[in-house]
Amino acid sequence: MGVVHGQEMVLNIGPQHPATHGVLRLQVKTDGEVVSEITPYLGYLHRCFEKHCENVTYEQVIPYTDRCDYLASMTNNFGYVVAVEALMDIKVNDRVEHIRVIMAELQRIASHLLGLGAFGLDVGAFTPFLHMLRDRERILDLFEMTCGARLLYNYMWVGGLSHDLPVGFVESTYNFLDYFEPKIDEFVNLLVHNKIFVERTADIGRMPQEVAVSYGVTGPNLRASGVKWDLRKNDPYSIYKSFEFDVPVGEGGKGSVGDCWDRFYVRVLEMKESIKILRQALASLPKEGDIHQSIPKKIRPPKGTIYKRTESPRGDLGYYIESDGTNIPYRLKMRSPAFTALSVIDEIAAGWLLSDVLAILGSLDIVLGEIDR
Amino acid sequence: MKRYIIDIWAAATTILGGMGITLVHLFRAKNDNVTLQYPEERWPRPDRNIGFDHSNYNVIRSRLHVDMDDCIGCLKCERACPVDCIKIETEKVPNRGEDIKEIGHVGVTSNGSRKAMVVTRFDIDMTECCYCNLCTYPCPEECIFMTGGPNSDKHPIDYEFSEPNRNDLIYRFAKPGSREGMAKIISEQKAEV
Amino acid sequence: MTVDFIFDLLNQFLPGFSGNGFLLLFAMLIPCLILFGFIAVYALVVIYAELKVSSFIQDKVGPMGQGFGFHAGKWGLLQPVADALKLLTKEDIIPGSANRVLFIMAPFMIFIGAFVSFVAIPFGESIIVADLNIGIFYILGVGSLAVIALILAGWSSNNKWSLYGAMRSAAQIVSYEIPAGISLITVIIITGSLNMQEIIAYQQGGIFNWILFDNPFIPVAFVIYFISALAETNRTPFDLPESESELVAGFVTEYSGMRYAFFFLSEYANMFVVSAVAATGFLGGWQSPISGYLDSPGWSVFWMMSKIAFLIFIMIWIRWTVPRLRVDQLMNVCWKVFLPIGLINIFGVAIWTVLLGS
Repeated sequence: MGVVHGQEMVLNIGPQHPATHGVLRLQVKTDGEVVSEITPYLGYLHRCFEKHCENVTYEQVIPYTDRCDYLASMTNNFGYVVAVEALMDIKVNDRVEHIRVIMAELQRIASHLLGLGAFGLDVGAFTPFLHMLRDRERILDLFEMTCGARLLYNYMWVGGLSHDLPVGFVESTYNFLDYFEPKIDEFVNLLVHNKIFVERTADIGRMPQEVAVSYGVTGPNLRASGVKWDLRKNDPYSIYKSFEFDVPVGEGGKGSVGDCWDRFYVRVLEMKESIKILRQALASLPKEGDIHQSIPKKIRPPKGTIYKRTESPRGDLGYYIESDGTNIPYRLKMRSPAFTALSVIDEIAAGWLLSDVLAILGSLDIVLGEIDR
Repeated sequence: MKRYIIDIWAAATTILGGMGITLVHLFRAKNDNVTLQYPEERWPRPDRNIGFDHSNYNVIRSRLHVDMDDCIGCLKCERACPVDCIKIETEKVPNRGEDIKEIGHVGVTSNGSRKAMVVTRFDIDMTECCYCNLCTYPCPEECIFMTGGPNSDKHPIDYEFSEPNRNDLIYRFAKPGSREGMAKIISEQKAEV
Repeated sequence: MTVDFIFDLLNQFLPGFSGNGFLLLFAMLIPCLILFGFIAVYALVVIYAELKVSSFIQDKVGPMGQGFGFHAGKWGLLQPVADALKLLTKEDIIPGSANRVLFIMAPFMIFIGAFVSFVAIPFGESIIVADLNIGIFYILGVGSLAVIALILAGWSSNNKWSLYGAMRSAAQIVSYEIPAGISLITVIIITGSLNMQEIIAYQQGGIFNWILFDNPFIPVAFVIYFISALAETNRTPFDLPESESELVAGFVTEYSGMRYAFFFLSEYANMFVVSAVAATGFLGGWQSPISGYLDSPGWSVFWMMSKIAFLIFIMIWIRWTVPRLRVDQLMNVCWKVFLPIGLINIFGVAIWTVLLGS
């Protein structure tokens, strides 16, 4: 089939555009509807996170980590405190570990809900988005019940937690899980298997394994390409070793492995796995244990460096901390999974239509707060 | 050809299936409704007296409040703040633990510690506050807290603290006139010496 | 309620002006004003219905208020009125580099296309503005005027998003005219007439005489017509021209206030027109579903309106369920699915009519 080439037009998608998930500017070269080149321009949300961290004490970094990936603050806190604890060689007790895992998995569900809903919105399905937000709201209620905040928690501290679980939290979480499990099936029937949605996502924006690995893409995006890589399994931190769960990988259910549909469906399956972990963690949650037991009086890590990575909803979230023995980090570097996910967009989205580019962007589930930091 | 028919069939069934789901939601609108008619209905008052001791701590995070009578001017909250939104200035009192009537200074806190400082300025800029709660933990007298905290009867939870003027969001907790009063007292002292 | 009837009436009551040209103009203006008022009120009702239906589907309550005078009235009934007032009182902005003349012309053009179709819609045995002998053809014809207006709007805005929206909508509407026309041809084969009233008269005598149940090919034609109608009115899943997550707002990106309201109004007016054609062609028009029962002129308006309302409800329902198609898939559906099936349908209906028709 011959292709008619016309005049190329440069189109700026963003910084203010409904589908850019924040303030991202995509400069695309288009020939009619076909996009030939995509250049993402970052920095509209740059807040000097890393430089800030060099000027505040170790405790004070935690509220800043909240604000990086504002859709998954708990896991951001988690990664940071795990890194600092490893640097200071602190062991926290079992109850703290359990509560941290419960919070992280709830956060993973909440983050995936918003990501999936926003992806649905990108391809034009409005109703699933609001259904997702409705359920996410319940998780936020649980968080508010625990620490008083709904979005930016500052909940996990070095060596402990800011608050213990409230009375009735375990029952509320069980209630939520019982309520939520059928909702996933409803969501799958409403959107995931919808023929129009399948047409829009299957075989679109295929990310081959080699590309994903060479760009350093992690998290659900990597797993959708068929690589079984999950830090909770491959490099277990906290107490993930003691839980049984699967790592869902993309199998090309509707098209080929690593397409938008796979990236979408892996997240749906991950929510189910998170529910499994949550049920186990709630069942084995120790009744006793002081959550402030191991909080050090002064956080002054010994001289040295550490790089610790955890599995955030978006992938490998790494913190590199260099300590010079004072109470202020000498250097703090954050490895953002969304950044690598965005960097691959030109590779996988060039050559597709304009609508597909936005669908692919949605399927990568990026958060600009984390990319720009 | 087979593929063609399967595709049409899949499109028809899945779309009708989806429409069935939305129809169920349409007719169950009354039960499933999650909207709160905000000005008329409010969030249920949080019932979660949790935290350090289970009897009287509440984790609500709304605006900050300071009980000035209990503040000893130790500056711990100022140092804990990651965004530097708390500004405190203090003056040494002539006699430790003694009330100074002119400026409304109370010498002894409710915990019984005798104050060595008069707080002449205690400003919290709520436009800068990031609601991290870090300032409330180090306080030795538990006098700075988010409303809804230990004294939640005194300070009802207030989610909508909007102000017409931006400067009104800088909360000044120091007793009015304390700075001038202290300056006067100090100058009198110097004169005596 | 034809123009002639009003003209005669005016001649009787104003014998001094009898036969005057102005009187004829006046007689023409009266039904136009009535129709305009009708469209405005109808749009408010449908906007309210859309808000409420979408909210209920999404587990929300939609616009709510605590009584007239506060917020948006009881159950938010005044919300569409408030929306309309807001649009009317908004500042009228014309972008500096836009083509002023075309930019101003486009909203009126699109509204004219939707408005003149109303002339040929029958609401009862004698309740029709102009009983044209090519009624259904006329509606299809003037419905296509919208394409010109959309391209004008997209081009004159001097905005890349608008241009994309305009190009998409032009391709889409032109393509979907064909399956819509082809499926209506089956109706014309059966009734042997293009006249709206004669099509309805053919379906006299209860629900089983409706063309929809005339022979097994017609339901397929009805589905094709209905989906093509969705595409012609730019409704989801075919709302590519204004797909808000891709093209910001498509061809209306640069429009605001009153001009935007006209685009909005014409979209809803178009929905009404295509539903009216579907109701006329397949669902018996203003005929009562039970023969000889509740078929006075008042009831005939009721039946027509309720059939149209039902179809519009389905449009709203579909909109809040499905995602949006891509532009090439849209064309695939049209040319590779609807067109062949529609053509086969025509043969089927023709053979059926020749062999078994009365």
